[in-house]
Amino acid sequence: MVVQLGLVANGYRDPHNYFAFQPFNESSTYAVELVRVLPDGERVGVPYGRWDGYDWDELIGWRALQGPWRQRHAFSGVDAVVDYLDHALDWMAENTPNDTQTLYLEATVTYYRNARGPYVTVIRSQDRELGGP
Amino acid sequence: MTATATPPSTADWRSRYRRWLDEVFDQPASVRAVAIARIALGPSVIWHLRPFLADALDGSTYLDVFQQKWWPWVPNAPAGLYVALLWVGVAAAVLMTVGLWSRAATWVTLTVVAYNFFLSETHFRHNRAFLIILLAGVALCDNGRVLSLDARRRQPPDDRALVWPVWLLRFEAAAIYFASGFSKLIDPDWVGGRVMHDRTLRYQDDARDALGDTLGDPILEVLTARAFQWVLSPVAVATELFIAFGIWFRRTRLAAVWVAVAFHVGIEVSAQVEVFSVIAIGALAIWAIPSTRDRTLVTPSRWVRWFDWMARFDITVVPGASWRMVDRDGTVLEGQQARQFVRTRLPATFLFSRFWRYP
Repeated sequence: MVVQLGLVANGYRDPHNYFAFQPFNESSTYAVELVRVLPDGERVGVPYGRWDGYDWDELIGWRALQGPWRQRHAFSGVDAVVDYLDHALDWMAENTPNDTQTLYLEATVTYYRNARGPYVTVIRSQDRELGGP
Repeated sequence: MTATATPPSTADWRSRYRRWLDEVFDQPASVRAVAIARIALGPSVIWHLRPFLADALDGSTYLDVFQQKWWPWVPNAPAGLYVALLWVGVAAAVLMTVGLWSRAATWVTLTVVAYNFFLSETHFRHNRAFLIILLAGVALCDNGRVLSLDARRRQPPDDRALVWPVWLLRFEAAAIYFASGFSKLIDPDWVGGRVMHDRTLRYQDDARDALGDTLGDPILEVLTARAFQWVLSPVAVATELFIAFGIWFRRTRLAAVWVAVAFHVGIEVSAQVEVFSVIAIGALAIWAIPSTRDRTLVTPSRWVRWFDWMARFDITVVPGASWRMVDRDGTVLEGQQARQFVRTRLPATFLFSRFWRYP
């Protein structure tokens, strides 16, 4: 009981409110512009999340983060989605070995929090080690 | 002469508290309600595992897509073992429902569902968290003593066991309604109708597709009105809080259960919540007082036996007799009153009956 109460209280600081039971907490939306940043600083757009034979939607495999190029409902709220996207960029950077050019991935997230906005935040993956598979 | 009521003294409260602790931790009571929850959870688990199995049949598992680990020490199962575990979960869920090796099957089901859940944060959903909590509560109880093949094979002397997990489940269930309602109550966007209004506007085309233009247009005209959501949102918050508190008290429990069923049906119709509605309605069984056949009923109808899943009555069927029911406190109801009371206590009919108490 104490653990559950702790988790409920933790939900007010945890963006995902895990085990804090705050369903349907927001009506927020978001959209992502994804770019690949090369070692020389060049920024290459990733239209529809496809590059070097990779497909964002296929690799993500989770409806909440698929097709973010168009305005989408933010599953569990904007803060949760931005956190998931942040981890997803890192995961993508680690799991796309055929891409030998990209230093890191960068996502510009434009969101509306409960129909207020737009607000913009930029997140990026960790740097990749280049040199080919 | 006038009798004045004296407030309970500290000693009275202590004595009541001790009695309650005894009741919770030491006194065996009927686990029939837990058995009903067990039966309802089996199909829910299979429905919950279905998309993971469908992906596996298409040749894809969690290892092939984005995974965000809860904790680094949770081991990743190789694809073959993972798929086998999912099928073990399905088999255990079936055994759980029919009540064969009930308790072991419930533990295995819980293990599989929890392992799959904790493989990746992307597997998190509120309904899945609730499913795990319910499975854990049911597993902690000796849930196979009734309504199970185990009970047929072993024929235990009665359906009683320690029921402290039921109290834990009650707390969890109430906490969920409270957490959800309270978080919305303190959010001005929610309680003021902004969240609901915006969501309704966004999904109105889906609703129109489902309802058709003739029916959809007038309904959506109401639903998308800002004023309507301004009223509906606080009502929704009040509903959750009423369930969270009302379900604890005998006088309001039946009303809270009724409201909860209507609430979950409403959610199921208007949103995609996976197994939440089914398990939340199934979990309402745990609020039944854990004693069985402590009311006597004489009735000419055989149907009462078929619908008395919670074993609320010690039933004697006498063809041609009039209805007569003796309540726990010795109150005797006859005829129409008895029949009406019985309807309020049967899971299949109580929703359509009056829910206030009889004198």
